[in-house]
Amino acid sequence: MARNPIKDQVAIVGVGSTGFSRDAGGRSRDSLVVEACVNAIKDAGVDKADIDGVCGTAPAAHQVVSMLGLPEATYYLNQPVPFGFSIMDAMNAVHSGSCDVALVYHGVYRSPAISRSAAADPFRRKLGFGGQPLGASQRVDPESVEGSVGYTAWASRYMSEYGVKREHLGYVAVNGRTNAGRNPLAAMRDPMTMEEYLGARMIRDPLCLYDMDVPVDGADAFILTTAERARDMTDHPVLIHASSTGVIAKNKEDQAPGLHHHGQHVVVKNLRAKSDLWLPDVDVYFPYDGFSFITLAWIENSGWCGPGEGGAFLESNWDKDAGRIMIDGRIPVNPHGGALSEGGTQGSGHVREAVTQLRGDAGERQVPGARTALLTPGGFFFNAQGLILRRD
Amino acid sequence: MSSISDQELLERLPDFLIVHDNKEFYRGWLLRQLLLNRCQDCGVWHHPPGPICPECWSSDLRATPVSGRGTIHTLIWLRQGPPTPGVDYSTPYPVATVELAEQPGLRFTSTVTGVAPGDIAIGASVELAWIERHGEPFPVFRPAGS
Repeated sequence: MARNPIKDQVAIVGVGSTGFSRDAGGRSRDSLVVEACVNAIKDAGVDKADIDGVCGTAPAAHQVVSMLGLPEATYYLNQPVPFGFSIMDAMNAVHSGSCDVALVYHGVYRSPAISRSAAADPFRRKLGFGGQPLGASQRVDPESVEGSVGYTAWASRYMSEYGVKREHLGYVAVNGRTNAGRNPLAAMRDPMTMEEYLGARMIRDPLCLYDMDVPVDGADAFILTTAERARDMTDHPVLIHASSTGVIAKNKEDQAPGLHHHGQHVVVKNLRAKSDLWLPDVDVYFPYDGFSFITLAWIENSGWCGPGEGGAFLESNWDKDAGRIMIDGRIPVNPHGGALSEGGTQGSGHVREAVTQLRGDAGERQVPGARTALLTPGGFFFNAQGLILRRD
Repeated sequence: MSSISDQELLERLPDFLIVHDNKEFYRGWLLRQLLLNRCQDCGVWHHPPGPICPECWSSDLRATPVSGRGTIHTLIWLRQGPPTPGVDYSTPYPVATVELAEQPGLRFTSTVTGVAPGDIAIGASVELAWIERHGEPFPVFRPAGS
């Protein structure tokens, strides 16, 4: 068992969200972020003077302190996406005593580079990913597999090595859309058939429109504190049982050793060593789905099945009547719709839904008696993450 | 290498982030040579160029010509992408990561010229070629022996 002194010592006690949409209208990124933050603070039932830690993606943490009028913060830092970095940062800060009550936030704001409707908004013209101002731009040639394109490249290798069919990726996309239909916070709620998936426009062959997450506007926020304090605040604190990030030396997209060795393998090995709970204990499962292919990779690398078997695994765990994945007939996968259908939240939506499920607040989506959630945000190269959350 | 000054290099390839670690790689482009870093102490090749050898931490790296021969390791066909002179996405545009003959795992990514979907697949042999883009040489691949 690996050293894990923080096990079950930090709890998530508040959740807030704006919900996600294809177009939030004439609103700024910051207005979305502060709305989610205020909702999370109210949900936790804490006073703003109690919050002494602020961690998130964008805007800068000190700006969030200012916009919310938080009197004093002793710990405030920003982390990159996906969202697991921010949660783990806040967790470590609470446990170490750097702060006692941490506000953790993430906002998404469609960039004019990836959304035609966002490009029509004159107030977004100088903004890039996550609403961050664009710096001096570099030349971009098509002959690159950096960033998100890298997943398409490795998907081509995966499909070639294992003889994977597009239908196998389609299960991930259809599952997300079915689940989003029951999530009022989701952007894409109309059901989708496998035929519609297979007929979709190819963007970067072998991946199509529905293999890629959907750009949205919106924000999520959370309140973290010590487990001890959490038990005084609520009768249903959600504890962070184990967490890990993972990266290897060759983490440049086109130089990665292969499908058998990248950041996900580091995460799974470490998470498993730190955790008392593993796959047989999981009630609700959140493999990342920024691309459908990433989901199959997480399923395989986490040990639900062998390499190259992810698609067949989904096929045999497919609930035909419901049109979604139910592992062993009981474990739903990304029941909020995931990045593919709730919206591309870089993991914050996955964390929010896990907390909601473990608190028993998921309404018609509720997994009966859910006590343990496995989350694996991020991809292969420089942002693989894992979290095990449990109900106290 | 000395035939192209630092000033000329920066002026002819103005839109790349060229620094001391990768200047010989880009200088090679202007000479139509694909130069990848090879450690002079342990002999291991690396790409992209970095400040030291990640294997043995030697600083004695040399931008060294590669044969340009290799096999396609990943292959995608873009139906859309960044606007680029000479690239028309109405025909699927191939982008291949090629495993070079010099060393297992040493890869270089570019397009493959003169092919349509179905002409090439993962595992196919390719060789280095050069095209012009923005008036300067740009490294690409073509099917081996074409």
